[in-house]
Amino acid sequence: MFTSNVHTQDIVELSVSAWFYRNKTIAGFDNPARSLYVAVRELVENSLDACEEIRILPEITVLLRNEEESSRVDLLNQGPENFELVVKDNGIGMKRDSIPLLLGKMLTGTKFSHRQSRGTFGLGGSLALLYGQVTTQKPIEIVTGQKGQPHGYSVKMRLDIENNRPVILEEDRVSKGADEHGTMITFSLQGDWLRSKRRIIDYFNQTGIIVPYASLFFETPDNEVYKYDRIIHSIPRPSVATKPHPRGIDVEMLKSMISTTRARSLKSFLTTSFQRVGDKKASEFLVFARLDPERVPDSLSMDELVRMMNSMEKFERFLPPSPNSLSPVGTEVLLAGIKRLSPEFVVFRQRPPNVYEGHPFIVETGVAYGGDLSAGAHIIRFANRIPLLYDERSDISHRVVRDLNLKNYGLRQEDPLTFIMHICSTKIPYKTVGKEYIADVDSVRREIELGFKECLRDLSERLRKRTKTQKYQKRESRLASYYRFIAEILKTATGREVQLERFHFEGGDNQ
Amino acid sequence: MSRSRTEIDSSEIIGLIDNVLNTVAETLEDGVFPEIGYYGASKKNVFYQEDAGYVSIDETPSFIDGRKVESAKTVASFVYGLSRFKEHLEQNMSMSLRDFYYMHKVKHVQDVLKIIDQNETNRLINLCERVIRHNGASVPREELGVVSSPKGTFYGDITISDMSKKRLNCTSAGEYGWFISSRPFDVKIHDINIDAAIFIEKEAMARNLIELEIPEDLRIGVGALFGQPGRNMRAWIRRLADEEIPILILVDMSPWSLRIFSTIKSNSIELANIRGLATPEAKLLGITTDDFWGKRGMLTEIEHSLESMTKSDLKCAQQNKNIPAISQDQLLSRQNEIMLKKKRKGELEAFKSFGLPLAELKGFYIKYLKTKSSDLDVKVI
Ligand SMILES: Nc1ncnc2c1ncn2[C@@H]1O[C@H](COP(=O)(O)OP(=O)(O)OP(=O)(O)O)[C@@H](O)[C@H]1O
Ligand SMILES: [Mg+2]
Repeated sequence: MFTSNVHTQDIVELSVSAWFYRNKTIAGFDNPARSLYVAVRELVENSLDACEEIRILPEITVLLRNEEESSRVDLLNQGPENFELVVKDNGIGMKRDSIPLLLGKMLTGTKFSHRQSRGTFGLGGSLALLYGQVTTQKPIEIVTGQKGQPHGYSVKMRLDIENNRPVILEEDRVSKGADEHGTMITFSLQGDWLRSKRRIIDYFNQTGIIVPYASLFFETPDNEVYKYDRIIHSIPRPSVATKPHPRGIDVEMLKSMISTTRARSLKSFLTTSFQRVGDKKASEFLVFARLDPERVPDSLSMDELVRMMNSMEKFERFLPPSPNSLSPVGTEVLLAGIKRLSPEFVVFRQRPPNVYEGHPFIVETGVAYGGDLSAGAHIIRFANRIPLLYDERSDISHRVVRDLNLKNYGLRQEDPLTFIMHICSTKIPYKTVGKEYIADVDSVRREIELGFKECLRDLSERLRKRTKTQKYQKRESRLASYYRFIAEILKTATGREVQLERFHFEGGDNQ
Repeated sequence: MSRSRTEIDSSEIIGLIDNVLNTVAETLEDGVFPEIGYYGASKKNVFYQEDAGYVSIDETPSFIDGRKVESAKTVASFVYGLSRFKEHLEQNMSMSLRDFYYMHKVKHVQDVLKIIDQNETNRLINLCERVIRHNGASVPREELGVVSSPKGTFYGDITISDMSKKRLNCTSAGEYGWFISSRPFDVKIHDINIDAAIFIEKEAMARNLIELEIPEDLRIGVGALFGQPGRNMRAWIRRLADEEIPILILVDMSPWSLRIFSTIKSNSIELANIRGLATPEAKLLGITTDDFWGKRGMLTEIEHSLESMTKSDLKCAQQNKNIPAISQDQLLSRQNEIMLKKKRKGELEAFKSFGLPLAELKGFYIKYLKTKSSDLDVKVI
């Protein structure tokens, strides 16, 4: 039997922003503590992207202030509070007209191309602002300027969730020098500083490691300042936008590519829309997929589209995807970054490019040892230069590290060891939408494992050498003490002052 | 020919020590690591000769290479040890092995050398003996002022002067006789009125013989070894042998006692470098396997008193086969074989198992000693 309710239920169309807001947990906005962390992270990532895009050494300032004058009596019982978050960068800036679209609308962005960047969906920063507005009802302020422009803009806006559309409340021109560029975003949001503090500070610490060419400044609601001065002046080689690789394409994507292509035959569609597909490969593939090379791409039926996609997955003769679209950090920069942890030894390895499901990726691994590192094996993980802080135990690198036999390398579980893993890819194989840990993909796991093993071999070699020199020094100092003693005894026994000046203890043999 | 060492003046020893110390000093001043050479107690440097015991030949030297850490420590201990000997010799003071060990506990010494075991300092003394040489032979530790606790007594009509400088007769120096000097080579023998000297493993039996006035009756000397004889006792036996007094040894019938006898007779591999410790003339008087199992054995009647050899006794007898001074000595190796076969051992106390009245026991002792001596071509009255 139908109940009357069924009949009275309205059919509601959710706007994109409304949908994302309702499902904000998938992007990490699931509780005030985590939301505060994710908001800071999304905005900082956007700023770093904005700087690296024009190969500018980033200068990023983050101010997080408690908006309420709360009497801080009972710290632990403190619930969520309202915060003001200011993130300022010296990046590329935005055009006046792009501001409301890029930041006021979900799924708009400039990073959809097949190249590596931190942002991908056109969602993160926008959702943070949306979350802030919903929890505090306060508008968002953006000040931005671009190089070569006579002035910048200041925009105050509100997001219209129901219609996924920004509403400008105020706007102004701001004066600036012709060479000045950058963006400052100010907005309010609900958060729980006490419960997110550790995570946010960890985030800055680790960003300081993976982006050592940036200067970061973070002022906390407790008025503490975390400052990370730039320690190296080179930015990693930028990635180049590339066309997609036929592997790893889904039907929707294929459809949208076909709808925009100007090619009039399948063969030319393949050679112009995909990377590393030449005439010969295209013909071979079309034979394999049992499709007519001269077909107009538009004319493919749904069945044929699916067949084409499946064939793309199965066809084994495509050249591997080009790693040009990737921007690994490079050992020089990694070495600079890890100095912030002051280890005694550190070894980094960049693995050669590899592929999973048609996406190229490069794994960079490092092992740091001793110095200021705390005892036991720790892992710090990065993906496309973003620190991954949650769900470490589910991460593939955790499993790899757990299965390493440290004894083989003359190391013990309790030794001060930090494993560093960076993976860059046009598509990071995150296990979940939360972007917090890397899934167990065979080729990725193999690269991480090989990388760590190479590092460990190198490290154990260095440790062995160090132990040897230590032994050598110990031996020297023991030798010296024996001979000083002998000289002393000879003096009392024979009255003779024995000069040891011409004596070189390094000259002896090792035993 | 005397097989005893000749006495060395302590100032001469000090001179030797100074020589070594100065050489080390000069080497260091030249910026060179010192190297100390010596002849170790290896098979290459020691061989056995039936008529001389263990003889050390300076064949293959060993070197302490001061470039190596552990060896540098040895050099340091060595130099320190010599400095202690020198000081003691200058002051006419002796030291025991234990004293020497404790000298390494002086704070600034311990901090550097970190010696925690007397074996280490004992070995060091052994090394010093090997390094400091006089007339081509090791200088024994006694000459360096290191005296191990003396052991052993001797009763008999011999007049001597020992370190006390007093003249005394070994029959009137206490109930067991004279407590043997730690430096028998420095003892002066003035007068000898015995025809043979019997050294007995166990002091109880030696005491019995003295109590029964057998030394007087037979014109013999009686020494008590107190088990494995010390260096001083062996040197004393050597001294008497040099005076052409026949040396007779009376020990248990056991593989261990064969070792006691063989050390007296041949010295040991470890101390082969020290002269004057072997008495190849020494003869095994008893008690032997033939006493119990021989056709004319004098103790066959008390064969039942023999005890079974223990596991460690048997192991000892097995190992005796690898000791040149036993295995290459016809008499000793035969004894050893018989014991291994019979797996029984006898003790000197066995004489008590005859159950003889004391007067008759004395008679038996005399009869035993006389018979056995004459078997060995030693005549006692
Ligand atoms: N600080 C900034 N300076 C310049 N442009 C910015 C800045 N922040 C955001 N943008 C622009 O706004 C767009 C949207 O940002 P948003 O964070 O919403 O998405 P995204 O970074 O593209 O992808 P993701 O959802 O993975 O973060 C970006 O693509 C970028 O073009
Ligand atoms: Mg972003």
